[in-house]
Amino acid sequence: MKSPSRIAVTGLNSEDGVRIVERLLSRDPAAKIMGLDLSRPLRLAGKIDFHALDLTSPTADVVLAERLAAEGVEVLVHLAFRSSPTPDIEEDHELETIGSLHVMNAVAAAKLPRLVVSSSTMLYGARPDNPNYLSESHALRGHPDAHCVQNRVEVENLLADWSARNAETEVTILRSGWVVGPSRSNYISRFFEAPVIPTVLGFDPLLQLLHEDDLLDVYEESILHSHPGIWNVVGREALPLSTLVALAGKRRLALPSPLLYRATDFPSIEQTGDRPAGFFDYLRYLWVADGERAWAEFGDPVYSTQEAWSSFVSSRRL
Amino acid sequence: MTTGDDRPQPENVIQMPAREEELELDAETLETLREALDDLRREIRLRVPDQSVGSRPEPGAESEIDFVALVDGLRRRLSTLGMRERTVEVDDFGLDLALVERAEPVLDWMRSVYWRIEVEGLEHLPESSPALFVANRAGILPWDGLMLAHVIRKAAPRFERPRPMLADWLVTLPFVQAFVARMGGVRACRENADRLLRTGRSVIAFPEGAKGATKTFRERYRLKRFGRGGVVRAAIENGVPIVPVGLVGPEEAHPVMFKSHRVARGVGLPFLPVTPTFPLLGPLGAVPLPTKWVMVFGEPMTPPVPTDAAAEALVISQANAALRERIQALVEVGLDRRDSVWD
Repeated sequence: MKSPSRIAVTGLNSEDGVRIVERLLSRDPAAKIMGLDLSRPLRLAGKIDFHALDLTSPTADVVLAERLAAEGVEVLVHLAFRSSPTPDIEEDHELETIGSLHVMNAVAAAKLPRLVVSSSTMLYGARPDNPNYLSESHALRGHPDAHCVQNRVEVENLLADWSARNAETEVTILRSGWVVGPSRSNYISRFFEAPVIPTVLGFDPLLQLLHEDDLLDVYEESILHSHPGIWNVVGREALPLSTLVALAGKRRLALPSPLLYRATDFPSIEQTGDRPAGFFDYLRYLWVADGERAWAEFGDPVYSTQEAWSSFVSSRRL
Repeated sequence: MTTGDDRPQPENVIQMPAREEELELDAETLETLREALDDLRREIRLRVPDQSVGSRPEPGAESEIDFVALVDGLRRRLSTLGMRERTVEVDDFGLDLALVERAEPVLDWMRSVYWRIEVEGLEHLPESSPALFVANRAGILPWDGLMLAHVIRKAAPRFERPRPMLADWLVTLPFVQAFVARMGGVRACRENADRLLRTGRSVIAFPEGAKGATKTFRERYRLKRFGRGGVVRAAIENGVPIVPVGLVGPEEAHPVMFKSHRVARGVGLPFLPVTPTFPLLGPLGAVPLPTKWVMVFGEPMTPPVPTDAAAEALVISQANAALRERIQALVEVGLDRRDSVWD
């Protein structure tokens, strides 16, 4: 299959956005890439075609549709999501849900052949009644106390409706687990960087981690070639939380859940504006995803969960 | 006792590099190395024509050296440099082999001294693995699953460690969940059963579910409804035999005198069992009584595969009812073997 000649990326200034574009440019320095975000990433100055665009503005869909049609874009990569939730719950909703809606409208109007959307396995929700391995067909139950998770569940629901109505656009949804690596920094990595890791007493779930390079590999492949469908992009193997903490040489502070949730309620994790259950339940119950389908489609990840974790830990010690 | 070597190893036992790697690299050298490797990888991927990202080389194709894989391997080694040595031994369902091994003498003691378990019908164990063991369930804490798995593994190592399946509410309890998962327990649901059976691991199911675990003392050994036939369906779809097992004894290990729903709601539990020792003795109430146990294995059953989609539900529920009767009969056999609860 022929690689697309014109690619558009929303949320360019995000960590993934810049690195994905760098990957695409290193493969083909003459690639025509349109970047969309609020501000211009300096690392890519002069290499791409940048347009400032605020996805939350009421006419963002109209403006975006015009640009996509004018440039003859073939693939749009939608990455305009928060890497860490902010306390501004309303603004997060505007950007993630409404922004995605604008993107969908624009893609439909410009009749784009392909759309690649970033998603997360957190959307399945950490629940005691999850099966040990969640397949792509499992319901997205989210978490009532994590507003960014809820926003993105809504995005996926909208997207499912939308793609039923717009069959001519091929949609690839990449649900990635927690991504770690030397250069990645978000509320999850910052949580694990603390010298003492608070956990829920009496619970030790298996966790699954993906290395940032493996995620980029999958993005690159899904942009260059057609892979329609929903994919769980996760690392191989899963390790108990206690093992991860021990491997990092850190201490675990296990507190009973009522105490932990109350104690962390005020300085809520990284000031996300959410109740702590929205984060700690992911360290309490299982939410491991079954990556078999994606491994068969995109190839084996280079790093296993343990190797991804080691890579993260050793880079932070430097 | 097993000889440590012939046992199948879990898939992801990762042997960290041995002591040879005590060499100390300073931060800058490491960073430079990492960057150099990243550049090299990019370079190779550009030069190797038409190699799509992440795809493995064709199995038949004569490839010279897979440079990308080589560089990936190097980068991986680099990023694990300086990590402490540690073997991580849990399998994909969280079974901790080291813990199980340490628990083995304790389980042996509980089997021969504490509960004096009498086992019957071992000759009925099927020759082929995996199998789906189905038993009656009672006694709040999952001692029965733990001991049954232990007995089966000792009698027939071909079943490896059968995984007891647990009711949902057990999984929400702190400590119980973490401990049971490390000992091999998984939450009872079709997805888990299918995945285990598909990968050749046996499963122990208790289709009475929470209704069985929480029955009161006066209802003991009267089997409750067997779910909705999920066990039979799992056996048919995975093509494995069902081995019915009657368990006598665990039902008296935690005799539930009555259940309190009102108090339970106050503390956020699904129900609060009241036994002679719990909640009276606090955490000590979790210690099971040393009753006499009998395990009776029945002949394996292969449920009929429904041919007619319309009649499928009926065939399944018939097979389900037959299975329940078989286990009830095995329980009666076991009860006859005992003189009293203690002997």
